[in-house]
Amino acid sequence: MIFHSLEFAAFFIVTVTIYWRLPLAAQNVLLLVASYVFYGWVHPWWPVLLLITTVVDYWSARRIAESVSGSRLPAPSSRKKWLWLSIAANLGLLGVYKYFDFFVGNVAAAVAALGWNIPPIALRLALPAGISFYTFQSMSYTIDVYRGHAPARRSFIDVAAFVSFFPHLVAGPIMRATNLLPQIEQKRTFSAAAARDATVVIVWGFFKKLVIADNTGVIANKVFALQHPDFFVLWAGVFAFAIQIYADFSAYTDIARGVAKWYGFDLIRNFQRPYLASGPADFWHRWNISLSTWFRDYVFIPLGGSRRGPGRVATNLMITFLASGIWHGASWNYVLWGAYHGVLLIIARAAGDVRASLQARKPARPRAPRWLRPLQVIAMFVLTCIGWLIFRETELTQLIADFALVPSASTAIERSAGIYLFLLALLYSTPLWAHDLWVELGGLDLTRSIDKPEAWVPWTRALAQAALCGVLFAVILTLRSQTALNFIYFAF
Amino acid sequence: MRGQVLSLAVVLAGTLAVPLGLRALNGAVPGADVRDSYLPTVETPRPREPFDQAAADAVREVQPQFVVIGDSMAGIRIDPLQLSRQAHRQVVGLYQQGSPVAYWYLAFKNLAVENSLKSLRGAIFFFRDDQLTTQVQVTPGSLDRVARDHELELDRVLAANRLGVFSEVHRAARSVYQFDRTRTWLEPVLLHGPAKLAARTMPAPGLLKAINTEVFALDRLRPFETADLAASQGGALEFQANVGDSLLPEIIRLAEGAQIKLAFIRVQRRPAAEGPPPQSPELTAYVNALKGYLEARGAYFHDDWGDPDEPLSMYADGDHLTAEGRLRYTQRFSERHARFLQ
Repeated sequence: MIFHSLEFAAFFIVTVTIYWRLPLAAQNVLLLVASYVFYGWVHPWWPVLLLITTVVDYWSARRIAESVSGSRLPAPSSRKKWLWLSIAANLGLLGVYKYFDFFVGNVAAAVAALGWNIPPIALRLALPAGISFYTFQSMSYTIDVYRGHAPARRSFIDVAAFVSFFPHLVAGPIMRATNLLPQIEQKRTFSAAAARDATVVIVWGFFKKLVIADNTGVIANKVFALQHPDFFVLWAGVFAFAIQIYADFSAYTDIARGVAKWYGFDLIRNFQRPYLASGPADFWHRWNISLSTWFRDYVFIPLGGSRRGPGRVATNLMITFLASGIWHGASWNYVLWGAYHGVLLIIARAAGDVRASLQARKPARPRAPRWLRPLQVIAMFVLTCIGWLIFRETELTQLIADFALVPSASTAIERSAGIYLFLLALLYSTPLWAHDLWVELGGLDLTRSIDKPEAWVPWTRALAQAALCGVLFAVILTLRSQTALNFIYFAF
Repeated sequence: MRGQVLSLAVVLAGTLAVPLGLRALNGAVPGADVRDSYLPTVETPRPREPFDQAAADAVREVQPQFVVIGDSMAGIRIDPLQLSRQAHRQVVGLYQQGSPVAYWYLAFKNLAVENSLKSLRGAIFFFRDDQLTTQVQVTPGSLDRVARDHELELDRVLAANRLGVFSEVHRAARSVYQFDRTRTWLEPVLLHGPAKLAARTMPAPGLLKAINTEVFALDRLRPFETADLAASQGGALEFQANVGDSLLPEIIRLAEGAQIKLAFIRVQRRPAAEGPPPQSPELTAYVNALKGYLEARGAYFHDDWGDPDEPLSMYADGDHLTAEGRLRYTQRFSERHARFLQ
């Protein structure tokens, strides 16, 4: 089921109405059933995979905990065995559904290059939506239990509700067991103030998805369907895709956070105005935060993090970003995209070290002037867009051709077309830029209010929220894209 | 607590009430009062081409016994004059290049069934693969010449196909908020603004047309599937899941009401050099299900796939036959399907 459908609207109204009339245990059962219905709405077999993940991780965590509690006292190697079972099951599921064909295809190509021919093997399995998100979330539960950061839960229902919680199931944010499971276990009460603020966030999310992301997505799709785009049209398409992916992904997060709030849950923020980042490290503190921190905590830090020498840190960063790249999809362009961002971070880190050593020699040297920040933001946005070209262009030969394009080779009509498409994407994204700049400069954040709902707000605020939601809804009705596009991250 | 609930109610009410202002905007903007289309649930109000009454009159004048319906796949296979001579029956072709199933349905309904054709015995539909149930959607304007002012059944089927069980909610929302009318005047304003800035030497409509016909010309596109990041997977070839929201039941109902025989001919796509064109197991299953469905309802079904009389040498470009191939196909058609043409 997708958020922007009347099926979901009906599903939401029915479940939320029943939900708040039930005691806690029944609420969790309802959440679990609703989540499986939501996930299996189009493909009824998808929940089977979800159930397998849940059972394996519930069982593994229980066995790990039993060894810690001392009731049966298996050896530490036994704890590790259960941890590896969980990791292998989750990564195995991902491997079969997401990476098998890619891996076998590349091996076959490599072998063919050596002159041997092997018959092609391909499973051609349809990738279940959200599998990359829920396997990582579920796996983090067993890892946290293993590390002693979270207790293993006795209630299978609670663990299953945690893994399958439908608002964020398909495209995140990835929640940790230490954050979401306690919320599932504790009593929740309906707050009309929270629901009010959540409604604003939900409507803003739908606006970003249906008006901004889908309209700019149509531009990007048209450009990336061209066999030989020119310089101006290509980079207008890249700009449109940059807007699309941000508006699309952050819209999903906003809707997920808003919907979860209606059920009494807090999901973490996943975006903090990423296109206003002033450097690579800043960007990754603002983009897909839940995934970035997941890779930081479960890959980068176990590899040694920043604790060793510069060479080892660079290696750790590169491994982490390559893993993040391949997480996005079984294709070399995602690997390249991860490597590109890894290199950017390593360079930025090295530049930071040089700057720090210079400052240490001349303590009076002032920090970077304020006027430099807009230039840094623009430079980082350009670097981000280069990354998005690598991300979006799935054919490597085409990617090389794209980077070889020069402005002087464009015809007058191509130049005008590129400028037109750029301006059109800019026009559709104006509300997004305006909102982000407004918040960056200290204004009220639309999406932040649900983190701290105020029980009492002045009537003027409530009326302003009502007017804002009404105007956004009117624009959604009027200017939503005629071409319905899936959420991009459903494909990952 | 009461204040909180009230403020929530205000926000929800505002969300639903403010868009009613679109009606006032539509009233204030000159030219915004356009008419609803013949597909009011799924299509934005817009100017339309009139129904092609001359074509309907011409068909009625001929009083055919059989009509052949389809896109270029039918036109490139059947020569109506030749078939008329060989079958000793009056045959008329109702073809439209690149037309969807909805066009075929309207041509069948408005040019044949509801066109006072007293001797009409049968209709022959030509189609490719899963076209009858999956290519149901239409682009605005593509049906104008065969559509009457009201096409309620087509609107119902398209709405169900596109909008599912909630099509009535969509219809009500369009009627209450009139957002489609707002779109008809607002969208051109939005599109022309950047166009004026981008090409100062050229009028905005000219630039938009040039972008569509030159920059994004069909021959400049790469294979679509590689460019579409969010391509849908599966589902399309599940016949039983799709037939209910297709136009097939409506075509059959029309034919039954008018006591007209129906034939459905699946054309063969361009064969390989050494044999028939490749066909997936899913498509084979789909075609079998389609055949079963049609024959159970008294329709005639024939599949050209793998026909040894249609070798590669009969084909010109793509799935189109050569002129000579067309003559041979028409001749073979009259012989092979002589019983249907009785």
